[in-house]
Amino acid sequence: MAASLNSSESDRSSLGGQSASSRSNNRSLRVAEKERRRNEAEDPFVLALKYFSVVEAGTPVVGNDDFENNLVLVERTAYSQGLSPEAISIMLEFAMSLRMGTAPCARVLKCLIPASVVPQEAVVRAAVWLSVGKIPISTQVLFIKWVLTVFDMIDAKDQLRAIYGFIFSFVTEENLCPFICHLLYLLTQKESVRVYRVRKLLELQSKLGRQPFLLHLLSLYKVFCPELVTLSIPSRMRGAFRNHVSPWKAALTAVQKRNGSLAGSSVSPALAVRDKSGSRKRKHCHLQLPALTSVASDGARSEQTSSRTLVPLAHLQSFDQLLKNVHRIELPAQMGSLLGSSVALQYLDCIQDESALLRLNFWLGCALHEEFLFCGDGATQTSEALQFLSRLLSAQHFLQEGFSSSDAFLYKFLNVWDGSLLRPQILCLLSNIPVIPSSQIRKLLFEPLTQLFFTSSLFFKCGLVECLNNMLLKWLTWHSVYALEDDLDISLNSHTSLNITLSGFKDSVMELIHFVGHLASVGLQLEGCHALLLSFVLDFYETVCDTFLKFGLPLVVMPPAGVFYPAFFATDPVSVDRLAHIMHRYKVNLTSAKRQEKQKEAFHISRQTFQEFNHCVVFMVNCLWNSRMFYPGSDVQPGEELLLGSGVPRYWASFDFIHHPAFVSYALDFHQKCWPSRKEMDLSSIKDSKPWSWYLDYLFSQGFDGLKDFLKSNISRQAAAVDEQQR
Amino acid sequence: MEQTNASVTRTPLDSVAVKRKSKSRSYRQSYRSCLGVASRLGLTPARRLTTNRKAPESHNITVNPEHLALLVKNEWQLAYVTPLHQFRHTQLRSYARHLSAFVVAEKQQGLAVEVSGLQNGFKASMTVVQGMSEADDDPETVLIQIHSKPLFSRPDDPQKLVWSGWLTCINGNPEYLHSLPKDFTCLPLFVYKGAENLSSLVKSWVQRTFDCCFGPLELSQTSLQWLAALWTNCHAESNIQHLRMLWTLPSAPPLQVTYAVDPHDVWELWGSVRKGSWGDGAGEARWIDLEEVASFMQSLKSHFYRHFKLDLSAGILNQVSTALGSARFNGRIKISNSAYVITTLTLLTECALLKMPI
Repeated sequence: MAASLNSSESDRSSLGGQSASSRSNNRSLRVAEKERRRNEAEDPFVLALKYFSVVEAGTPVVGNDDFENNLVLVERTAYSQGLSPEAISIMLEFAMSLRMGTAPCARVLKCLIPASVVPQEAVVRAAVWLSVGKIPISTQVLFIKWVLTVFDMIDAKDQLRAIYGFIFSFVTEENLCPFICHLLYLLTQKESVRVYRVRKLLELQSKLGRQPFLLHLLSLYKVFCPELVTLSIPSRMRGAFRNHVSPWKAALTAVQKRNGSLAGSSVSPALAVRDKSGSRKRKHCHLQLPALTSVASDGARSEQTSSRTLVPLAHLQSFDQLLKNVHRIELPAQMGSLLGSSVALQYLDCIQDESALLRLNFWLGCALHEEFLFCGDGATQTSEALQFLSRLLSAQHFLQEGFSSSDAFLYKFLNVWDGSLLRPQILCLLSNIPVIPSSQIRKLLFEPLTQLFFTSSLFFKCGLVECLNNMLLKWLTWHSVYALEDDLDISLNSHTSLNITLSGFKDSVMELIHFVGHLASVGLQLEGCHALLLSFVLDFYETVCDTFLKFGLPLVVMPPAGVFYPAFFATDPVSVDRLAHIMHRYKVNLTSAKRQEKQKEAFHISRQTFQEFNHCVVFMVNCLWNSRMFYPGSDVQPGEELLLGSGVPRYWASFDFIHHPAFVSYALDFHQKCWPSRKEMDLSSIKDSKPWSWYLDYLFSQGFDGLKDFLKSNISRQAAAVDEQQR
Repeated sequence: MEQTNASVTRTPLDSVAVKRKSKSRSYRQSYRSCLGVASRLGLTPARRLTTNRKAPESHNITVNPEHLALLVKNEWQLAYVTPLHQFRHTQLRSYARHLSAFVVAEKQQGLAVEVSGLQNGFKASMTVVQGMSEADDDPETVLIQIHSKPLFSRPDDPQKLVWSGWLTCINGNPEYLHSLPKDFTCLPLFVYKGAENLSSLVKSWVQRTFDCCFGPLELSQTSLQWLAALWTNCHAESNIQHLRMLWTLPSAPPLQVTYAVDPHDVWELWGSVRKGSWGDGAGEARWIDLEEVASFMQSLKSHFYRHFKLDLSAGILNQVSTALGSARFNGRIKISNSAYVITTLTLLTECALLKMPI
């Protein structure tokens, strides 16, 4: 019924608009309207509302059947569908004006369940009645409780904020105070925090003692104006205002559910109560994130900021609020607190103020230094450190770059690190280090890392290679992003702080690749070419071989022999396949680089790189395809007598596709499938032209895509056929 | 290598406008990852204590005698502070009000306190110590004091000084001070004494208000040796009475060695290790070299070895004391003679600056 009233209302207004524009519009509409009005006039609910709006002051309640019937009607509608905004206005006005005395007042208030929104004007008018009429205190409390319950449904808050001072005056009413404080908490803005209000509340505090409601309101005042009031909330006083009336709440949600709209739950203040659990045990708690608090503005500073009102970051709770206020956000008192909140992190991403970032870096650097470098007793609490570092890492991950203080810390820490303390976190931090000029990279990074690498376990070696791979990837990505931006040729110059030239960047990358190549060669030797380490090394070279095409960096560096041969002679087919894939990508990169080199002299790739590449490819093809392991000019050329003395039959063919230890099982399998009836195993029969191509297809069907690409790009079948005939 | 160095330059901050970039390709890293100050300091190899410093001269510093007396008569705990953000020497009165309110609020958990109101429990004051700075770049020293009234005292009883602390910077490295943006004030050395809980309250207030960090400042072996040598060097002007050193040797159980040397002997020993024109007061002799300090300590140790067959090099120097002052490994120091305050504080400022994370 309320809904029907709603719609008729809106119809009426729209009709009014129409009649103004086109008066001669069809009569039928007007007739229909009349009809509806007549229907409405008969609607008992509308009649009931009419009764309450016009009932005269002083009408008796006792024995008044009209009143009783109408109120029951309203109540029934309220609990089933909720009341429309107009109905709320009428009933609220009726109750608070005490036209029929105080008796029905509470009863009416209890049934004020809004269907959609509560008009602000009604609330303001009712608040005014508070001071005029002689409403009993219990009913006043009931009214404020009702406002608190439906606060989120009030359609606007500007007029309510305008009478902030008026509402504040009720704070002295002892019974109302807790509820008024809650209401004020919901309405407070920076402008509303005044010295005399603070004094009033403090006066109350001295009268009433430590009351949570006063403290919570004052703590909000502190968020806005820390220069006026200060306090510290004990951790046991956690509960915020508990003023909701559950029957109302339940009725409200029931009505909302029925109407299919669920308004946001009422504002429950989130208070920054310092979490002291655990920290008390520790003497130094550097790893605690500071709380988000606002700056106490004083003298000089408040003059600057008075021109535009700033919003303290501590007051923002959602990304929406952040977006709305992004032009007038006030940085918190302690920059380190930004790391603790996700909204603040979003904001950190757009801060360009050098001082602000320097503050953050001082805090972060100090925390890291104190915890990991200066702590004499070495009693690092791992769980806390772990939590801190993971938070730092997630922030860095979000911002997609590291903080300079954590870099500076790492350069020192690497020299004293044992390689096992918080290894995953430290390695992850390490991979976020930005490009280091090649003149310093050795001292800062390579020297400590070399020591760690050669004195640590296999797993550390793998972790380090992975970390350096990530570092390289980040450097290259950074390059490709900025190289792309350079093509656009405009940029916001304010971001500039440190410039590196292209050649400087290339030098650094080259140093890094050579360094990893060196580590990998020696590491593989030390660990007996362990398959796990080899896999991480190949990961690294998968990044390296594609620097030109994937990241647009004109640089091609071949793997050293210490990586190439272990990978090729590996006993697992996956490594060989990945090596083939890497060589294939090298070829694609080199050919496309060569093509570009011809077009424009963008860069020059040295002959030596090509020679190294050719050398590797020729070796692989000769071994795998031609069964000519030893040929003049190859790296591996033992004396003839030595080979004969070894007693290996057909030694020149021991690393072709059939006899390579990585593939011999496939060859056997293929042999059985191809000639199931044969009793004697004769692997060399696969070498014949037809079975050979079947065999290759069989290998490719096993998922060796790297080999497939490698063969496709390096061997033309015709040449292969000729080769075959020669043999 | 040369080229890369040359290309690492900072662009002026004020060029915010969108502008065409020069044709030569260059990369940018955002402020966050490469701050001007940070990157320069971060990339340089570890900073070290200076290897030579001026010999102490007796200064007639023009400091309020009351302040000087306070500084001289007590033993102090040392800490370092990262640069203070938005600190104004002109705002000390209002800072003091805030600090008082903060201390009272923290002492009475769950009770809000008006900042501008008069606190009856604790009263903090902050004052500039005129004359307590040496170089032109040094910011003025700030003295923080907290007075309190005992709980059961008569209303007309005077308030008692319960806590005091100094924020100071004497002869701070000018390069470092200049590298900081204008809104930072570097007072790296924090010297304090008083109840532990008040100390931590003051620290946490300063941390919150000026967004800085505190850390304990221990005195390294080298710093202690420097102090021993510097104090010994003053013997000609002011009697040091004794040079006493406390060593801990890593034996089981640990062996404590107190090694006291007669002032004349130690003065002669010091004279023998001094290089250059000794004693004539020429400019050369005014500088003391780390090598001289090292050989001074070595001579002391070998003398000890000759008598007791114990090599002190294996142990840890815990404490050094003379009539001019005493210093302990854990960062407690006492300066007994006001004439050499500046020398000692210069060394301590340097130690504090070395602790800066960036």
